[in-house]
Amino acid sequence: MIKGMYSAVSAMIMNAARQQVLAHNVANMETPGFKQALSVAQDWLRTPVLYSPGNLLQNRQLDYVGLLGLGSQVSEQTTDFTQGGLQVTQNPLDFAIEGEGFFRVRTPEGDRYTRDGRFLRDAQNNLVTVDGNFVLNEGGQPIRLPDGALAITPNGTLMVNGAQVARLGLARFADPQAELERSEGNLYTGPAQSTATGEVRVVQGALEMSNANPTQLMTQLVEVGRAYEAALKMVQNQDELLGKTIASLGRIG
Amino acid sequence: MSSLFHTLTISRQDILSRLIDLDVVSNNMANMNTAGFKASRSNFQELLHQRTLEGVTLASTQGLMFQGALKNSANPLDWAIQGDGFFQVRLPDGTTGYTRDGQFLLDANRQLVTASGFRLIWNGQIPDGTIDVNILPDGSVQASLQNGQRVIAGQVPLARFVNPGGLINHGNNVWLISDASGAAQVGAPGSGNFGVVAAHAVEQSNVDLSTEMTRLMSLQRAFQMSVRTFQQTDTMIAQALNLRKG
Repeated sequence: MIKGMYSAVSAMIMNAARQQVLAHNVANMETPGFKQALSVAQDWLRTPVLYSPGNLLQNRQLDYVGLLGLGSQVSEQTTDFTQGGLQVTQNPLDFAIEGEGFFRVRTPEGDRYTRDGRFLRDAQNNLVTVDGNFVLNEGGQPIRLPDGALAITPNGTLMVNGAQVARLGLARFADPQAELERSEGNLYTGPAQSTATGEVRVVQGALEMSNANPTQLMTQLVEVGRAYEAALKMVQNQDELLGKTIASLGRIG
Repeated sequence: MSSLFHTLTISRQDILSRLIDLDVVSNNMANMNTAGFKASRSNFQELLHQRTLEGVTLASTQGLMFQGALKNSANPLDWAIQGDGFFQVRLPDGTTGYTRDGQFLLDANRQLVTASGFRLIWNGQIPDGTIDVNILPDGSVQASLQNGQRVIAGQVPLARFVNPGGLINHGNNVWLISDASGAAQVGAPGSGNFGVVAAHAVEQSNVDLSTEMTRLMSLQRAFQMSVRTFQQTDTMIAQALNLRKG
């Protein structure tokens, strides 16, 4: 009885955790380059159930009945790296990656990867992200741009006034879900080197929008709300049963 | 470990961010017909604290400094910049402001001023008895006098910035320098990347109505979803509080 109560509570806790992930995805529905967080529900501990056919004192034999689940939990959070839609902004310093690949960025805490291509020139003419982190070139160094109009070729070569200046550092990963870890500000930490080869296609004057899908989020929201409510009802049911047991079991007459 | 109260905070931050974005979009739409106005956008960023999901935050607002369309004008003191430069004006507190709004007026002291009364910084003076003024692409101001003579009254320099998007909006269509914009580089129109000055022209606002309308619509939907998420978290908390019935 108590076991059942705790597994119902674990479902409540799990759904509260899913609600947090949903709120985070909803909040970043309009953040360019955002990749939605996924929470996967998983069953928690299982305990073997044993049964003794007769009097336990006389018959020491226990029959194995099976496994009883003790509730659910959110297994490790993962990231959905599918492509977000491209939105044309016509801003010459907005870049989007079509297909696989990541921009390389240097933060005070170390090098990071991002799909967020909102870049700016800082006061020293370096190419930086909206948070002021350096965007890196092929050799892993910050990019200093001369004055003038910036253009980019699809393979990431930056041209100013028709002259080649640098090539954007672009990384590809064989399995971004396993290799990259979510970090502050739309950035991901990962291995120092690309683990996959191939060209990355960069588009100028466009941004990759968040891949959080409003329709999907709304349905998930309803699902989580109801699942939470159902778990809560189970707790109440168990409580009621327990109450009845205590009040009426063993009463004579 | 997460708490539903923390989830409420995420949604609250989300709703506040949408409201700020709404302010930015409204300001852009309100200035659709303001000469020399540059649209801005808010840059939102995912917020994370030691791997805990924290929602969204406003990383920066960014001026979108691309060129507005030029419109012909009959007024000889309507000047427009085609290119990166800014006119420099003297603000009442003595600092230099930068503007793209080149609709100047001649005040009682024969000074060129903006509509807000800020003096244009240039090295000349409109002479007495001037009946017409013309500005050349290199910023030279040509005054036609009553006696039919034409004189060069001076030259209007322009200022440009490494990162014009980092300028601070001072209001009245005037920007101020900031650490992000870098120091002003001053030079003659037509040289470097300063751009040229067009006479008898007004640079229109670079706000695109359809872009802003679309933005407003998606913003409204996003706001609704944020509120809906907030409400649901609230309901979940209320349910947990009423867990023990009777």
